[in-house]
Order: sequence, then structure tokens, then C-alpha cells
Amino acid sequence: MTASLPDEVVDPNAPVTNMDYFMALEFEEIICPVVQRYADGLLAGKILGHRCPQCGLVYVPPRGYCPIDVLETTEADEVELADRGVVTNYTVVTPVQYYGQEETEPFAKVSVLLDEPGGMLSLQDVLEVPVAEVRIGMRLEAVWVPEAERTVAEIGNRWGGAGGCILGWRATGEPDVSSDQLNDRVF
Amino acid sequence: MADIAIIGHAQSPSWRMADLTEPQFLFPVISEAIASANINRRDIGFTCAGSCDYLSGQTFAFVMNLEAVGAWPPITESHVEMDGAWALYEAWVRLQVGDIDTALVFGSGKSSPGNPSEVYPLQLDPYTLTPLGVDPVSMAALQARALLDAGLVTEQEMAQVAARSRRDAMNNPYAQVSGEFDPEKLLAEPYVTMPLRKHDLPPISDGACAVILATADKAREVCERPVWIRGIDHRIEAHQPGMRDLTQSSSTRLAGERAGVGNAPIDVAELCVSFSHEESVLRRALGLGDEVKINPSGGPLAGNPIMAVGLARIAEAARQVSDFGAHRAVAHASSGQALQQNLVCVLEGD
Amino acid sequence: MSHQPCAVVGIGQTKHKKRRDDVSLPGLVREAAQRALDDAEMTWTDIDAVVLGKAPDPFEGVMMPELSMADALGAAGKPLMRVHTAGSVGGSTAIVATHLIETGIHERVLTVAYEKQSEGDAQWGLAGGRSGGMGAGGIFAPWMRSYIQHSGAPEDIGWKVAVKDRQNALKNPYAHLQLKDISIEKVKESPMLWEPIHFLESCPSSDGACAMVLTNEAGAKKSPRPPAWVLATAMRSELGQFPGRDPVRPQAGVECSRMLYAAAGITNPRAQIDVAELYVPFSWYEPMWLEGHDIAGPGEGWKMTDSGATALTGDFPVNPSGGVLSSNPIGASGMLRFAEAALQVRGAAGEHQVEGATVALGHAYGGAAQYYSMWIVGASLDAVAKHK
Repeated sequence: MTASLPDEVVDPNAPVTNMDYFMALEFEEIICPVVQRYADGLLAGKILGHRCPQCGLVYVPPRGYCPIDVLETTEADEVELADRGVVTNYTVVTPVQYYGQEETEPFAKVSVLLDEPGGMLSLQDVLEVPVAEVRIGMRLEAVWVPEAERTVAEIGNRWGGAGGCILGWRATGEPDVSSDQLNDRVF
Repeated sequence: MADIAIIGHAQSPSWRMADLTEPQFLFPVISEAIASANINRRDIGFTCAGSCDYLSGQTFAFVMNLEAVGAWPPITESHVEMDGAWALYEAWVRLQVGDIDTALVFGSGKSSPGNPSEVYPLQLDPYTLTPLGVDPVSMAALQARALLDAGLVTEQEMAQVAARSRRDAMNNPYAQVSGEFDPEKLLAEPYVTMPLRKHDLPPISDGACAVILATADKAREVCERPVWIRGIDHRIEAHQPGMRDLTQSSSTRLAGERAGVGNAPIDVAELCVSFSHEESVLRRALGLGDEVKINPSGGPLAGNPIMAVGLARIAEAARQVSDFGAHRAVAHASSGQALQQNLVCVLEGD
Repeated sequence: MSHQPCAVVGIGQTKHKKRRDDVSLPGLVREAAQRALDDAEMTWTDIDAVVLGKAPDPFEGVMMPELSMADALGAAGKPLMRVHTAGSVGGSTAIVATHLIETGIHERVLTVAYEKQSEGDAQWGLAGGRSGGMGAGGIFAPWMRSYIQHSGAPEDIGWKVAVKDRQNALKNPYAHLQLKDISIEKVKESPMLWEPIHFLESCPSSDGACAMVLTNEAGAKKSPRPPAWVLATAMRSELGQFPGRDPVRPQAGVECSRMLYAAAGITNPRAQIDVAELYVPFSWYEPMWLEGHDIAGPGEGWKMTDSGATALTGDFPVNPSGGVLSSNPIGASGMLRFAEAALQVRGAAGEHQVEGATVALGHAYGGAAQYYSMWIVGASLDAVAKHK
């Protein structure tokens, strides 16, 4: 006995319909030792980077290698960085709504070039400054989460950042650095 | 076609839950491959990578891997969202153009952060198969069932493949699962998904592999024992498992014919046997008789770093030629489930 | 050197739209591929190999889609590859396909690139699934700001590009955005997305596909319509992030175009190229790429835009198709640039045809402006030598 499908199921002229298929995948990744140490540094109120022994470039968060000289970097190359610096570039993002989005108001993201020994932190938040006043050359200092409340739950192998330990950056009130000196460094 | 040789290679061990990031464990693998090839990094004319975003759980995951390559000053490179064996194919094609003489190929992946039964259904037809939630072990089990019912393999033979592979893997410093296992004891274990038992399944592995290719002149200049790629081809079949004869691998047979497997006797083969029953299918598809040693490395049953595992078969086959006296070897890589897509490579020493 | 000429003898693309709810993923891809085959007057069985390209799989929620699309692509029994080089993928896919012809490995190759972004949530994908994502343009906005400051360009250059490309799109029936009343005022008044980039200065999110049929000289001779000859290809990449990197005029981009021009025998791109399809997803990238690929000198790119040189009727038209600003199925966008360049030198670009174009540049970039793929196509193998 063969069954046949009713006509309305096989009508090729019926309009195409769509259905939503919501899926969630879980990935659990172990924090690599170099990022773990970076996270431990943040908990202790320090920003740690690695300085390449060959080219001298400072990587923060440290990656465990210098991709320019293609050599591994270790704790021997660790350097404690300043938690003050200057805005070298920025944008103001008007948030788009998507699944998981929590932002609703325009927010600024700045690149902060840290004072000596250097290092660049990008996509940082600016606190207590209206978005319209964010500018290149602005001197900033880190606003640390009180030590007892610090967490590194947000720090992952890929995303780095300092969320959970550094709330953001506030203006120091020092005079702006002239933008010619900064060459609009993004990285 | 121009003669292209493998002049160097390296692998990471296969681990579960590696605590290094992918670029971090890829880093020394690439450096070692370059060193083993006796060339300078900056002489490399083309680089091609194989990896998969979904494995990593991150869009654009492959971008970070570029940091392990030495991509400053700029380089010429490309990427396939496929096993490194297909990256090797792209590099082999690129070398045929004739304007460059070396290529770096690598494959890498971390399978352990994700859950295979969540991730791999996404590799299937999204309209008819993904919603069924078919996990990859069940898909393999369908193929094993077809083979058992056709009398082409027995559960004993499958257990023997598993035991032999893990015994051979005791000589492979990169292997994750190795040791002496008694097939009879293995057969007493319960099924994981009928008719597959735990020993029939590959481990879940993180790992990387890199291979250096060179044109003939360059190979002669720098390499004492170049391993020549005499033939290489890859083919894909229909996707729906119901539309294929799962007891055969027609794409492996076709790729093998095009790669010239049958042109001369084969000494050794490194095949992407991820599930023990696949060895039977692949042997027959490639016409490999009992005299051919299969997977002296242990194969994927001993270490299964997805996205590197196919390329690692090519590296291991090359090792058999350059270091263990094999004259002619076959390497095979597979993509998709139940052997849907296959690449075959014939290697020869001088 | 084994290097046979490669010709583009069939080109097809879909109507690009925000949502192509009328087709499945394979349906979208086949629409473009079938059009390319029809253009070449070939059938699926004529094709020896297929090269597929697209951007991240999480955009549609299908992992390694070439596997489930093998049948739809007519690839069963054939070699099928899937290239992924971020935004430049459409271009690199075409280049991989080109090499298969140039090396004589295959005689007829179908290459396809697509994105069906409406299936997933591209913004979510770009944000890596996290809150506070920078969006497609947030990473690039500071670099555009840097260009504006260093070049001294007036603020309206970006708006001019946005208007020009959308007006060109009105002449391209496949283009997604058909903004009949686009104007400088409208662009300027549209909401700010990533300061200083306004909504109307940014690319849309599109569903779409593009396909080409490539063949060798013998195949080109038999082709029913004039082929476009691939005169040169180039790919170049660099690290996306390291201290002190210049992401405004990336070195990989400069090197890619220099390698390309050298291979094509081009010594003066401004004079020897008739039309360019450049990957401009945000308005300011038009002057940035003109400079970044040595078509204009440093600080001079915006003047080409300002003077009207890059308009459809100008002396260096850029993006007569409407470009990425008018259609952006991310995985396909690079191939669309390559295909539109080929349409130009075949004289097949319809209403957006640049008169007398015989040498055209197709360009794609991706990642943190770190991946580049480019090609030069010509109406004949000696199009550059013959160029006036």
C-alpha cells in the first residue's frame, strides 16, 4: 500500500513559509596560563603585559608570543604597565539591538595608550565624561573596582580586556596631549 | 603537473582540553615545520590554513591563528574552512602556477571546548537533518550498521582495528590514546550507540599539524629526502546519507583512481579512520590489500584533532617514506559525516 | 611556468535583499549559479569543479555548508572546496578558482559566493555573541577618523560617496538598496552609527549570491558572449593587531596592489584602469582605498571623489554597480566586485556600463583591513598593452 501526500502539502505554488530555529551551543575553554597570570595581576590591581625581548613592543593582554618576531614570550618578559594614559582614537557606537545586547544608549569606546613603559588598551569605556566630550589627547586614569569586589569572570582567552577589575577610565584633569604627537595610534 | 614535494612537517600532540590557546600551540608546530624543512620563514611564497569557526565557537576564529605564522611584514596567504588537507591541496595548486617555490600549510582545532552532539548536527542539511538532532556518533553508527548487515565487516574486526591502532600508537609520541587492548574484552563493553562501542570511536582532541611543500628545484636544494606528491585528488558525494551506499566510499574510490593509487604497489597507508568500521570501507575503496600496513601512527582512533587530522595523515605517510623506508604511500583525509567528502594523496620517495 | 589564460564566460547574481524569504540557502546559491551557467550556455554537467566561498558560518547557523549544498551545487562526484578569508572571501574564492584553470587542472570551474544573513543575526555574530558589540563599522570608524584628520578632507566627502554609490545602484536591478531620493541632506541627517559614520554612509545587511563560470582559452573561444580575461590576481595579508600597526593605509593592501599591477603590466593605475569595483562598506573607504592602492597619492584620494572623477561618468568610475554600500551579502560582496569588473570589460553591465571599459579592477578586503584579494580583468589578453 502506498500513501500519497495530500495536495496542499505538495503544492509548488504555495507561498514559502519560514520558521525560527533557536539554538544554543556551550563552549568551555580553559584559560591559558599567560592569560590566567594577567587576570591574577588585575585582581591584584596591576596591568601586566609582555615586552618582546627582540622588538621591544608591549603586548597587553599578553599573548605568550610576539607575532612580529615569531618568538614565544614568558614571565621573564613580563612588565607591569601604567594605569594612566591618553586617548589616541575613539568612536561613539549607537547600539543595534540583537540577542544578548544590553546597551541602549550611545557609548564611547576609546583606545588608551598607556604611559611608559607603554602598551595600548583598545575598546575601553570612559566614565563620568559625556560622550560628546570624548576626544583624542584626553588624559585618562583607570578606575579600579574595589579590590574585594574584583572579578575576572569576564576575562577569556580571546577577549582579554579588563572588565570586572577596571570599571573604565576617567579624565585626570591634566592638559590634553597634542594630537600630532599621537599619530592617531589605534594599535 | 609540476612535481611538488613535502620537505618538512611537524605536529602537536593530540590533547583533550589543552590549556593553551590555538595560536599558542600552533606557534611551535609551524616553527618546527619550517625548521625541519631547512628553509627561511620569509622565503615561503604562500601559506594556507585549515580550521573551522564552529569548532572554536567563535566567528573569525582563524584570524588569530595568523599570529602563529609570522605575517609581518605581509605575506600571501589564504584559508579554507576545511581540514588542513584541503589547505594542502590549495597550496599544491598554487605551487603549480610556477611563480613561487615553497608553501606552508597547516590545520588546527580545539574540539574539546564544544560538545560534539551540539556542534555536529549543524554540519548537516539544516532543513531535513539538523532538526532531527542526529549526533555524529549516530551518523557513524548508521554506516557501521549498513556494513554489518552487508556482511562486509564484523564487530570483531572493528575491535581488532581499534586494538591494533592503539597498540601502534604506542610508538607515536603525538598520540592521545594508546596501549594494549584485548579485542575480546573490548567486545564485552556496552554499546555507546549501537553498534558502536567506546573503542570504535575517536577521542576528542585538540591539536595542530603543519607541512611544508616545495617545487622540485627547491626540494632538491634543501631536502635530503623529499617526499613527492605523485597524485592528489578530492571528491564529494551527495549529502543525504539515504542517497548514498554507505558500505562504499565512491568519492574515495574516484579520488584514489584520479590520484593514481592503483598505478603501482602501495607499502603503507595513513587513512582518516575516525570510526573503526571506516577502515573496511576505505581499504576497499582504495583497493588496498592485506599487505598494506594501515595507520602505523594509530590514525584518528589514537588522536583526532579535527581540522588537522587529515593533514596529519599526509604528514605521517610522508614520515613513513622519508624515515621508515616506505617507497610508496597513500594518505587520505575526510570531511563531513559518514565519509561524504574525501581527499587522496599518493606519496613516493626518490 | 604553467600558466594558461583564464576567462570568465558566465556571470550570475541574485537580486540582493534584506531578506530572501522566498528561497532556501541552496535556492539562493542556485539562483546565482544557474544564471552564470545560462550566461555561459553551459549546464551543470559541463562543470569540472566547484569553489564555494562565504564568510563565517554562524551567520546562517550552518557549519561547513558546502557539505549540505553539494547536491545543489551539482558537485557530487566532483572536487568541491570552501574558502573563507573573512570579508575578502568572495575575491579569494575567485582567485582559487582562477588558479585551477591557469594550472590546467580543470577546464571549467564554477565559483560561487553567498551570504544569507537574514537567517542568523549578523550583528550578534560580529559581536561574538556578546553585549556591547562594536557592530560592523565600530572597529573601522576610528581609522576613518584618522584618515579624515590626516588628509584634511572636508566632512562631506563620505556623504558624496554614499550618494554616488546609491545613485549608481538605481541603474543596477540586482542591487539591494534602491534609494530613489538619496541626497547629501538625507545622508547627513541620518542617525549616527559609529561617530563619525552616519547610517546612510554604511552598507546594508543583505542576502545574496554571486557566481562565475571560468574556463581556459579553448573554452573561451566557444563561449557565446565575449569573455573577460583574468590578466592578474593577487592576495596579501597582514597581522590585524600589533602595537603601532597602521590600519589606515595597511601595508598588505599597498603590497597587494603593487603585486597586482606588476603582474598585469600596469605602471599607472589611474590612467590604465578604466573602472574599479572597490570594496567600500563605509563611505570613507573610497578615498582610503584610492590612496591605499596607489590610484591617488597620499591625501589626494578624497579629491578624486570631490571632483566627480569617481562618478559613473567620471574619468575613474568607482563602483558603478552601487558597490558594497548598496548590497552587502558579506560572503558574496568580494565576488560581486570581481564579477562586476568582469561585466564591465565584457560590455555586459547594462545601464551601469562604463563606456568603452577594457581594463577593470576588482577588489576585496576583510578582517581588520588585513586581508586583500584583487584582480585585473580585460576585454582581451593584451588589453593593458593596447590601452590608450
